[in-house]
Amino acid sequence: MSYFSDKINFISPRWLVFSRVVAAIFAGYALATTSTLFFGQLLLTSVGKYEAVHIGMLLSFPIYACAAMWVFSVASAQKAWIGLIKLNVILMIFTWLLVQANS
Amino acid sequence: MKSTFRQSMKWLHTWVGLVVVWILFFMFITGTAGYFYKEITRWMEPERPLISPEVSKKQMLHLSQAYLTEHASEAERWRIQLPNSRDGNLRVRWTQAAKEGKRRGKRTHKILNPTTGQEVAELRATGGGFSLYRMHYRLHYMPRLVAYWIVGFCTMLMLIAVITGVIFHKKIFSDFFTFRAKKGLIGWLDIHNVLSVVALPFHFMITYSGLIFFLTTYMVLGFNLSLTDSQQDEFHKQVFPDTLAVEQAEIAQTLAPLTDMYLQTRKYWLEDTLDNVTIKYPNDVNASVNFERLETDITYNHSDEIFFNSNGKLMTVPAREFTPSGRIEDGFISLHEGQFANSVVRWLYLLVGLIGAAMVASGGILWTTKRKPKQDKKPNGADFGYRLVEQLNIGSFVGLPIAIGVYFCANRLLPVGLENRADWEINCLFISWALLLVYPAFRPAISAWLEQLKLAAVIFTFIPVLNFLTTDKHLAITLPIGDWNYAGFDLAMIAIGMSFSFAAYKVKQRIVSQVGNKSITSAVSKASTAKLAQNKGAM
Repeated sequence: MSYFSDKINFISPRWLVFSRVVAAIFAGYALATTSTLFFGQLLLTSVGKYEAVHIGMLLSFPIYACAAMWVFSVASAQKAWIGLIKLNVILMIFTWLLVQANS
Repeated sequence: MKSTFRQSMKWLHTWVGLVVVWILFFMFITGTAGYFYKEITRWMEPERPLISPEVSKKQMLHLSQAYLTEHASEAERWRIQLPNSRDGNLRVRWTQAAKEGKRRGKRTHKILNPTTGQEVAELRATGGGFSLYRMHYRLHYMPRLVAYWIVGFCTMLMLIAVITGVIFHKKIFSDFFTFRAKKGLIGWLDIHNVLSVVALPFHFMITYSGLIFFLTTYMVLGFNLSLTDSQQDEFHKQVFPDTLAVEQAEIAQTLAPLTDMYLQTRKYWLEDTLDNVTIKYPNDVNASVNFERLETDITYNHSDEIFFNSNGKLMTVPAREFTPSGRIEDGFISLHEGQFANSVVRWLYLLVGLIGAAMVASGGILWTTKRKPKQDKKPNGADFGYRLVEQLNIGSFVGLPIAIGVYFCANRLLPVGLENRADWEINCLFISWALLLVYPAFRPAISAWLEQLKLAAVIFTFIPVLNFLTTDKHLAITLPIGDWNYAGFDLAMIAIGMSFSFAAYKVKQRIVSQVGNKSITSAVSKASTAKLAQNKGAM
């Protein structure tokens, strides 16, 4: 038993790197998605529905890349997770507000 | 990750690069070959005639229309591709109406003799250059979507590698001018830097445009959450408008002669650069005929197309109105594909594509070079991970080119009547690559490098010889005629073979100098022990 608990040591640097990798891939993809939704609403009135979504999608790749880079630049994996979740929630709230304003 | 932002980015660059280096190398090499896929296909179909004789475009259109009327009167769509500098063949293609439950109808493709208007004799079945080109985004032996996601993942990591590379590199432009032609770590570092910086705009463009090729596949979640199914159809129409939507009227009518329409286009286009003609519903009263000339712009240009109706009357078709973002995407995709490129620009594409492949490869070699001194000192030999990277480096950076050489040889050597011949050509490629990936596990790294480089040199130099032995379209024939497309392939193979010979020579030189150093040091140590013994004796 002690062998396994030694092996699966969740505060070992390897697990923390793995945690960041997961954050970068999935929380980063979530951010790319929420940013698409956000730009789709933000630009809705100025350029129209379809182009707004298209611009949001075109921008989502650089945003994804920056999110992934940011995950690996902060001091701890925990900070990376919390930061990305916060950003996702904030973008969702703004998107929701814009939906209300646009309708 | 690390104490400073820059150090973290350096760490990320290293590991992100290592994860995808071999797939990226594969994508760069096959994609770069793709810039010449028509020329490669031409070489792989040696039954095709050499240069087509001088026949006017008018005559070829006449013959093609006669052929299509006779053989494809039921088709929904015809396409006539006139010979051009890249592919000297007159090609006709047609699509039948889609059967129930099918998305597309059956498509047929024939090459016509431009003088007689008859089909050219059966060609050997081959994947040609197109199969190589297709692999770079479609991979092989796996479902389409799986391949797209693997490729997308690797491309995304490439984008991160490009950005982090620029960030952590302090003196990017001054370093570009300090190339130290030295061996070992500093030499490889400088090579990697120069290759990255010299074509940086290309690296960025090719990566980002590669991602937006599959925009709605990769960003599927945001796309589906933003738009409903019917809105998605409208999205495609708005962002990338189609040329002209015609509906079949189901009233039969014979199409007016294409030759007359061709004469009309000559009034609008000063130069005779007509490239292809597409006919929708050729036997319907609502037929539409689209004359297209060679692309003149990187993005869509309305004046490259002229439309006619079934009576051969000019139709005014409004220009396709891209949204600004649609035009940006169109521009990126066009830059990625390089369809607009003339022959000079096409060679430039080849050059920067190879620089990209070399950048990726030098990055992989840099990873091992940096760790080599430490690994060499380990009492139980190098770590498994280090050995694996070393083997995959050798097996990919030299092994893949050899495998592509094998693909070309297979085209000449597999029996023409073999069943699934085109598939077997590709199987030959992947079987030989697999063997070459395994081979370095059984050899010391430096010997594996040398042996595979030698093999590559032999194979590529052998390809023109094989062509000489198996076909009547070898250099002794193609050079005097001046068929540069065909001769160019053989000459390029010789050039690649010579490059590999040079690389093998350099590696061999290094082995010799290392062995030389060792024997000197051992001689010195022997001499010193002898001296020591003498001293002892004297004492």
